[in-house]
Amino acid sequence: MPLRNLPIRRKLMVMLLVTSGAVLGLTCAAFIAYQYQGYRAAARHTVETLGEVIASNSTAAVAFDNASDETDVLAALHAEGRVTLAAVYDSSGALFAHYPANAPATAFPPHPASDGLRFDAATLIYYLPIRQGGNDRLGTLYLRWNLASLHREIDLYTLIAAGMMLFAMLIAYVLGRSLQQQISRPIQTLGRAAVAVSEKRDYSVRAPKLGNDELGVLTDAFNHMLDQLTADITERQAFGTRLQRQLSRLDLLHRITRGVGERQDLGSIFQFVIRHLEDDVPVDFGCICLYDPHEEILTVTSVGPRSRETALELALTESARVPVDRNGLSRCVRGELVYEPDIGGSEFQFPSTLAKGGLRALVVAPLRAESRVFGVLVAARREPQSFSSGDCEFLRQLSEHVALAAHQAQLYDALQHAYEDLRQSQETVVQQERLRALGQMASGVAHDINNAISPIALYTESLLEREATLSERARSYLTTIQTAIHDVARTVSRMREFYRPQEGHAALAKIELDRVIGGVLELTQARWRDLPQERGAVIELRTDFVRPPVAIMGAENEIRDALTNLIFNAADAMPDGGTLTVRTKTVMRQLKGAGADEAPVEMVCLEVSDTGVGMDPETRRRCLEPFFTTKGERGTGMGLAMVYGMAQRHRAELEIDSAPGEGTTVRVVFPAAPTAAEETVRQIALGLPGRPMRILIVDDDPIIIESLRETLRGDAHRVTAAEGGQAGIGAFEAALAKGEAFELVITDLGMPHVDGRRVAAAIKAVSPDTPVILLTGWGQRLMADNQVPPHVDRVLNKPPRLKELRAALAELGRQA
Amino acid sequence: MALFIAVGLLGGRGAVAAPTAQQVEAVFLFYFSQFVDWPPGSFADQSSPIVIGVLGDDPFDGSLDQAVAGEHVNGRPVVVRRLKSLAETNGCHILYISSSEAAQLTQIMSALKGRKVLTVSDLGGFVRSGGMIRFVLIDQHVRLVINPQAAQAAGLKLSSKLLRAAAPGEG
Repeated sequence: MPLRNLPIRRKLMVMLLVTSGAVLGLTCAAFIAYQYQGYRAAARHTVETLGEVIASNSTAAVAFDNASDETDVLAALHAEGRVTLAAVYDSSGALFAHYPANAPATAFPPHPASDGLRFDAATLIYYLPIRQGGNDRLGTLYLRWNLASLHREIDLYTLIAAGMMLFAMLIAYVLGRSLQQQISRPIQTLGRAAVAVSEKRDYSVRAPKLGNDELGVLTDAFNHMLDQLTADITERQAFGTRLQRQLSRLDLLHRITRGVGERQDLGSIFQFVIRHLEDDVPVDFGCICLYDPHEEILTVTSVGPRSRETALELALTESARVPVDRNGLSRCVRGELVYEPDIGGSEFQFPSTLAKGGLRALVVAPLRAESRVFGVLVAARREPQSFSSGDCEFLRQLSEHVALAAHQAQLYDALQHAYEDLRQSQETVVQQERLRALGQMASGVAHDINNAISPIALYTESLLEREATLSERARSYLTTIQTAIHDVARTVSRMREFYRPQEGHAALAKIELDRVIGGVLELTQARWRDLPQERGAVIELRTDFVRPPVAIMGAENEIRDALTNLIFNAADAMPDGGTLTVRTKTVMRQLKGAGADEAPVEMVCLEVSDTGVGMDPETRRRCLEPFFTTKGERGTGMGLAMVYGMAQRHRAELEIDSAPGEGTTVRVVFPAAPTAAEETVRQIALGLPGRPMRILIVDDDPIIIESLRETLRGDAHRVTAAEGGQAGIGAFEAALAKGEAFELVITDLGMPHVDGRRVAAAIKAVSPDTPVILLTGWGQRLMADNQVPPHVDRVLNKPPRLKELRAALAELGRQA
Repeated sequence: MALFIAVGLLGGRGAVAAPTAQQVEAVFLFYFSQFVDWPPGSFADQSSPIVIGVLGDDPFDGSLDQAVAGEHVNGRPVVVRRLKSLAETNGCHILYISSSEAAQLTQIMSALKGRKVLTVSDLGGFVRSGGMIRFVLIDQHVRLVINPQAAQAAGLKLSSKLLRAAAPGEG
């Protein structure tokens, strides 16, 4: 196991033992080395000294060849046991004497080596010269010193050192064992504490402090760190709890918002919000009040199901009114969220009322849309100071969402209304457009028919008037033709009646409605009284006329026809009898087509109602269309269409109320006649030809030209005709150049290349005073579209009635 | 040079021809100079030679000359003089009295009485005659018989080592 993985106790022990072992070992080694060196030096010294002595004593023996003497000298070495061998060589290098004397000569080197001291494995060898004084060498001394004792000694020392070391290590171990606890124990306790913290997550553990050294500081720091950690964890847990609560609130807000978003009416939105407020926030009392800024009154609109009992007790049930005084409510309706932690002692009315119901903490949140407070959200609890800032924030956000949703619901409602209005308007417009299209079609048909019958009418009339020689038979035929033509013309005119706009003020006269109604009722009595009676059905008549009688401006015949039609329809709607009511009254209304700013004026309403079968929506929608009828073969489908046309021409409004089984009420609302207005009576020379004039007729239809020319010549006019617009302009200018200018021009409107408008413009350009009559099958449309062109003095319809033509000529001729 | 001779003389003892007694004695004569201290005044100065005189016939056949050739003892050269008469012995430090002088031995010894010279001879009865060192041949080895009293009387100091190397006995 590597040292770094050992437990710290053993590590410390190993370190201690290794260190002390190393120190002791080194000390012993040094000591032994020193001893060894000392011993060697001593041995050397001894050998050298010994050698010197022996050598000195050997000089004479060697010099005088006395080997026995020398042997004696060497024998003295016996006293020094460590000298194992000694020998003397003579000057020629031959062995001369040796020690021990009994050793064989082979035990010695045959010849001396060089002088000096040398160590080998276990011996010290010493060669030194034998000299007498400073003279030449006499021989050589050889000494062999046994070092075994040295080695024995060294071995002994080593043994002692090893023993000492062992003993010292033992001491070190025992001491270290107790001393290392000073270090290892704090670390171990610290370690145990750290393990307890990390493994068991027990942050209450603290490591005991065992001293004031670095480990003590470390322990303190560790404990301090744990303190901080505990604080951090506590804080984090608190934060987590807060976050959890925030999330659940957010979730609640989300649920409420979604629930609210799915609802469209205020009541269910408020109920949904209050119910969630009571169940999920929760609160003990919750309600929503709407605010009336003018009266400064809050009206309780929605009370939660759980709050109902308290609300009943406190008289705060729905539609209860709470005045806004100078308390929290007033701040709230200014847009602030108001929190009253304890309303126990409040002197204001609303909080004290709630306090009576045992409620103590109160939050009032404003419901605000487009920076206007339109209501408040009230939440209360029995526990004082029980709303946290989180609660308040939640209620504030909730109130904003609710306000937005409520506002959207209101907007949605308004949008629905607007959409409904628009739909109705669109229906009306579509209907009008349909009628207008039909009217155009009718006009077109009428134009063609009128063009076709114009010559017939003119010629017939001329013949009857001017040909005195006609036989009775011819006159009778012509009269029949004239009647038939008039019938055709009337049919055609009726066909377009419903669409013909008013023909100018000339046609309108002051009419007493009562009188007209009375006449019509009398005339139609057969239809609404007698005919049903034959079937056994009784139709009761009721009349209700406004007093004093009022007058309107109108064309009496048209009104009469319209009223007749209405009465017929009422009678037809009551096959089993019923009540027919005809009524007049005055109402204040804006004129049709008037701007929204204009003040309402007095108007007169003519109302015809029955108690008959009524109309289904489809019938109601189409009833004004020409040729639409529910009466089968009996009906023409023109009745109500004509009524509509009449109303249009009189700037009157036509209103029809009807439902199946509920009867039908038709109202025509006329503008009242100006009471002080003078009725201008126009002097029109009817039926008499005026003074003769030079007249230019411009038309692209030769038949029309011919018939007109003949008719006008009959009235003594001088007539020139031009076929087409350009020809007409040329003719007029030519005549003007000759000084024979035309006094009047009659021109057709619809012509190829140059139409009636341009003809009129050209004529007025050269002769502004010359009157121009525009003759057209499209006259009504021109009028309706306000398209009476400039430079035209009069528009006449085809077929031109001789009377109308004469009247126009007489009037314009007089002016000219 | 002395070493060379010694080696030449002694080294060849076993292997080559063993040195003769005369050769050994010649070397011994030379070695005596190392073991004897002469009294002050024996030398003219520091570098005066040690003089070895051979009185009578020279038995050494040149080996003595070889033994001293080039040698110095205590800084002094060693010279050999061959002497015909007693009169010539003045100035000698070591005097070898040849066997040829046996007849005049007593006369010589008395003449030398009181002289500071180491006397050496092979002659029998030499020591009793007042001689200081006599060579004797024992077991083929040249041995020394020394009369320390005679040397002491002459004022010479013999090294104790020389004395220990001497053979006991009469000469």
